[in-house]
Amino acid sequence: MMLVVKRILTYVVMGVGTAFFALPVLWLLSAPLDDTPTYAVRPPRTFSLDNFASIMDNRYAVASLVNSTILSLGTMVLVVSAAALAAYALSRARVPGRDALIYLLLLLSSVVTGTAAMVPIFLLIFQLGLIDSHFGVILVLTGGLLPAAIFLLKDFIDTIPPSFEESARVFGASPLQILRQIVVPVARPGLATIAVWTVVQVWGSFLTPFILLRDPDKQPAAVLVRTFYTEGGSPNLGLIAAFSLLYSIPVVLMYLLAWSRYGFRFHGGIKT
Amino acid sequence: MAGIEISALTKEFPGGVQALNGLDLSIADGEFFALLGPSGCGKTTLLRTIAGLETPTSGSVRIGDRDVTRLPPGARNVAMVFQDYALFPHMTIEDNIAYPLKIRRQARETRLKHAHDVGSQLGLDGLMRRRPAELSGGQQQRVALARAVACHPSAFLFDEPLSNLDARLRLEARTFLKRLQRQLGVTTVFVTHDQAEALALADRIAVMEAGRIRQIGTPREVFGRPANTFVAGFIGSTPMNLLPGVVRDGAVLVAAQQLSVLDVPDGEVVVGVRPEYVAVTENGPLAGAVATVENLGTSSLVTVDVDGLSIGAVVPEDREVEPGTRVALNPTRVLVYRDGELVS
Amino acid sequence: MIGVFLVFPGLWTLYIGATNFRLTGVSAREPDFVGLDNFERALTDQTFYHSLWLTLIFVFGSAVVGQNGLGFTLAWALRDARKWIRRTLEALVLLAWILPSSVVAFLWIAMLDRDGGTINALLGTVPGIAWTVEYPLLSIIVFNIWRGTAFSMMLYSAALSSIPPSHLETARLAGSSGTQTLRDVVFPHIKRHALTNTLLITLWTFNDFTPFLITASDYDAEIIATFIYNKAIVGGEMGYSGAISLLVLLMNLLLALVYLRVARRRLA
Ligand SMILES: Nc1ncnc2c1ncn2[C@@H]1O[C@H](COP(=O)(O)OP(=O)(O)OP(=O)(O)O)[C@@H](O)[C@H]1O
Ligand SMILES: [Mg+2]
Repeated sequence: MMLVVKRILTYVVMGVGTAFFALPVLWLLSAPLDDTPTYAVRPPRTFSLDNFASIMDNRYAVASLVNSTILSLGTMVLVVSAAALAAYALSRARVPGRDALIYLLLLLSSVVTGTAAMVPIFLLIFQLGLIDSHFGVILVLTGGLLPAAIFLLKDFIDTIPPSFEESARVFGASPLQILRQIVVPVARPGLATIAVWTVVQVWGSFLTPFILLRDPDKQPAAVLVRTFYTEGGSPNLGLIAAFSLLYSIPVVLMYLLAWSRYGFRFHGGIKT
Repeated sequence: MAGIEISALTKEFPGGVQALNGLDLSIADGEFFALLGPSGCGKTTLLRTIAGLETPTSGSVRIGDRDVTRLPPGARNVAMVFQDYALFPHMTIEDNIAYPLKIRRQARETRLKHAHDVGSQLGLDGLMRRRPAELSGGQQQRVALARAVACHPSAFLFDEPLSNLDARLRLEARTFLKRLQRQLGVTTVFVTHDQAEALALADRIAVMEAGRIRQIGTPREVFGRPANTFVAGFIGSTPMNLLPGVVRDGAVLVAAQQLSVLDVPDGEVVVGVRPEYVAVTENGPLAGAVATVENLGTSSLVTVDVDGLSIGAVVPEDREVEPGTRVALNPTRVLVYRDGELVS
Repeated sequence: MIGVFLVFPGLWTLYIGATNFRLTGVSAREPDFVGLDNFERALTDQTFYHSLWLTLIFVFGSAVVGQNGLGFTLAWALRDARKWIRRTLEALVLLAWILPSSVVAFLWIAMLDRDGGTINALLGTVPGIAWTVEYPLLSIIVFNIWRGTAFSMMLYSAALSSIPPSHLETARLAGSSGTQTLRDVVFPHIKRHALTNTLLITLWTFNDFTPFLITASDYDAEIIATFIYNKAIVGGEMGYSGAISLLVLLMNLLLALVYLRVARRRLA
């Protein structure tokens, strides 16, 4: 008796859970293919790909995807190279209290890059004259993601035995050679994880580009998608839905890629 | 090729750990030298200081006729094999073996050819294209050796290279290592905490304790005449009997029985005698009942209670005794220690 | 490192907070030093307290209770569910987490819409309720639970799988009931994870800006993040919002320290 109740309860929990998590996403799948989409989640009335065609007609839409790409890749390069150097140094240095320090840094970086930092960052970039510049956004995003990236990567580099580098040193390799020929190749899965993670984070980030980029020509997809309205002032649902889908696909693909290549390694700080 | 001279070497780690304490050591050219001691006594630290991976707090290291104390590891022309072998997992075996030559900027073809030569010398033919993870422990160990051999160093430094192998493979690798060293004639410093390994391999052994050297000598000397009770207790697969005794008028007495007559001053002493040198007979100076018998294969270790003292004796397999039997013991090659040091 | 990431922004914010910096006008060029005026103003500002209160409800409802509870429930329920069920549900929950925030915000605007929204259709409310207007706080709480549960779920499944099976089996053999097992075996094991999880999701939720994308500047859902945005970027009052940022920062710091204290005392 108890068992049956328990089993039913479990199924109810899972059923409701599935519905709760699936329903909103279903709209993202159906609406783009609907000729006359509404807010309701329903299968497409008249199937068409016109919504995707209208993305091509929109002056800013394609450019915004390019912008997103620029921001993501730029930040990725900076984060990965800086995090690799810092994590390596931190992993190999013998500093007392280092772990507590890194943990604190990580904890606070998620605070400092949140809304509390909106004002100081805006002003800093404002005074540096970097408003409306991709470079400014890349810098800010790099700063925000770096502590977590270092934290994740240090975990990884800690698992590389120091004897690898020592062995190379005894053979006469220079520090740069050691980094290039030994550490980076051995840490490649970790670096790839960080790269994917950074791209996904930047691709979806809204607040920073939202406040730092005013020019619609420069805005990434995350910001631009909020400006798709018809002449009448109501949201252009077809365009929004199709664009959202297009814009979401890379993120999902990258996760799948990372997942299949390296398995799902759970890290405490994967989202900041 | 070159000898190694170490003088007054001291290493203090931050935090005050005195890992090496005023060490003097001289290793001859071409010698197979073992550093032996219990865990934490500073063997690895000494080896790493010779390699240049640790900087000494004071003292100097000379390799050949060069003072290398301040030289970086790469400039010392030594090769080191680590306990975990430190084979680079992303490189094939041939690339691993050729890596030292790559650092020396030799052309890829030359270095691969050389790697293959060394590889086949060490019985690695057919494995050269694999990656380290695809090899057995023994094969990995030989790759690590090959990599060390490939760079033609003036000295090999081995940090417990056999300790990751299972007991059987270890014996095989031991023989292999000894033959290789004989062939190449390269000065070799070998760290181990296994006394049997040191005895089997080395030309000379340094026994260390807490950052100091307690005895240096050939395996025969260290085994036959340990310079102090520490070495006496450490060397030998069955621990040496260390018995409280007295010397009266040159007579060495244990449990009030005279064991031998030696030229030492009177007083309290510790009497050391190896179980291998204790004969179980019908009439000897010490008598007691057999407490336990442990089978060692071709022989047995018999522990006998003599007036409250436990004395071990090794008997050959055809001379076994039953527990409880009363026997007499006749110790030979008796060593006498006063204040921990050998006096005779 | 610490200098770059903590001290400098802190001091910079303090400096801004102590001026009457505005984006336009005279004080944009030459901000005056006004000392603690901004902080005084914040501490007597009703709208600030209003916003703080909303934030607390939001954080408590969506993160501490919502994500934590749902995350654990899912992890527990999926523990020995059939593989495909587990995979599907996990993928869905994860999807909610990895989709870009502007997209998910819009998905929920659609869900909550008065006329065509799916929620109203499901509840059969006629005429529909404009959820984001009438219940803005509830809307963003539900949204944030949906959005963030993945993290808690994954953390708790990792934690649950690290409980040695022998412990659970011992409890079974001793004949303890489900709740007893939870209390005596499971909870002691995941206490530490629960604490870390709560701390992280609290901080993230505290600083999350995404709700703004759903409720815009609605006064009844003006959590701190929105409040700062409205004052600073929309209103241009940099000095004042800088002061508030610093206060928020200090609150976060305090929160982290309290958690750390608890963690050390309880679990050390
Ligand atoms: N990097 C270090 N920092 C501080 N102390 C150290 C460091 N490396 C070694 N020590 C200390 O120095 C002493 C000697 O260490 P060492 O590694 O040389 O011992 P060992 O003889 O090789 O032992 P084992 O047989 O266990 O390998 C030990 O007490 C150790 O704790
Ligand atoms: Mg060692």
